[in-house]
Amino acid sequence: MTWASFLQSLYDSPVGSGIRESSVLFPWIESTHVLMATTVVGTIAIVDLRLMGYASHRKGARQLILDLLPFTWAAFALAAITGALLFTSNAPNYVANAPYVSKMIALLLAGINMAIFHLTAYRQIGQWNEALPPPWGVRLAGATSLTLWIVIVFLGRLIGFTIG
Amino acid sequence: MSIYEISSVLYSTAISTRIRETAGVIPTTQSLHILAIAVVVGSALVTDLRLAGVLATDESPQTVIRRYLPWMWTALGVLLATGTILAVGEPNRVLANPVFWSKMALVLLAFGLTLLFRYPLLHPEFGRTHARWAALAKPTAWVSLVVWIAVIYCGRWIAYAI
Repeated sequence: MTWASFLQSLYDSPVGSGIRESSVLFPWIESTHVLMATTVVGTIAIVDLRLMGYASHRKGARQLILDLLPFTWAAFALAAITGALLFTSNAPNYVANAPYVSKMIALLLAGINMAIFHLTAYRQIGQWNEALPPPWGVRLAGATSLTLWIVIVFLGRLIGFTIG
Repeated sequence: MSIYEISSVLYSTAISTRIRETAGVIPTTQSLHILAIAVVVGSALVTDLRLAGVLATDESPQTVIRRYLPWMWTALGVLLATGTILAVGEPNRVLANPVFWSKMALVLLAFGLTLLFRYPLLHPEFGRTHARWAALAKPTAWVSLVVWIAVIYCGRWIAYAI
């Protein structure tokens, strides 16, 4: 099976067709996707701003991350699921859409940035937990993350305007 | 003058045409609108969950409210500004749209709840002098979250109800 025929099979599948042809399913799934995306960005922004040195509602960075990341992850999971459903409804056109491809790349970069942070600076959080400002590597991770997520929002909105 | 006539008149103004026909204005304004929504969602989530006793219970409610209320008001300002640009640019999309007006009513409700049930809590004596009102903070926190979710669904649904 080629990549193109795989995408077409998603498009033709009962799930993909059902979503595409329903005047109710697509709006509900898309709105949920937007709600989850705003929750991801809203909660990540609080953590990223703290990593950049802006105080949150508590002093310690570690407890803030423990407070908020479960919500970020839950919202991200739902955003990914709704995103996958939306994808199946129009797969070939999304893959051919520049903002969509760029958005996927930006998501990947955000994930890599987060992984690097969690495997390095986060491992030493005991040393900088209450430091304001935090070490430069931490500030960079936060700024990179926030910038990528803002770009992801813009790209996401642009998909709707440019999809074929 | 009917709402359709008002919408038509607004649509034909220079400012409306400028917004609509300048490349990138509508998508950029919408993206800024969505980012401001994210700020409200993040702020409301932390504040409402704290008031509901679910999150950050080692910090006082006052500390949490005080931290996020300014962000919510700034975000509201951005939402009103970007929303006005979008409404002026595409009045046909919103003025005669019942989903849009439902959203506006819900936004008023959500911010009304914020004003009535958050600001009083910032006063140190309030919990004691207005015990019954203060006791409503927890259930209204949950109501508030549900209202914000409804606002977001209405917001996206505007496009589907034109």
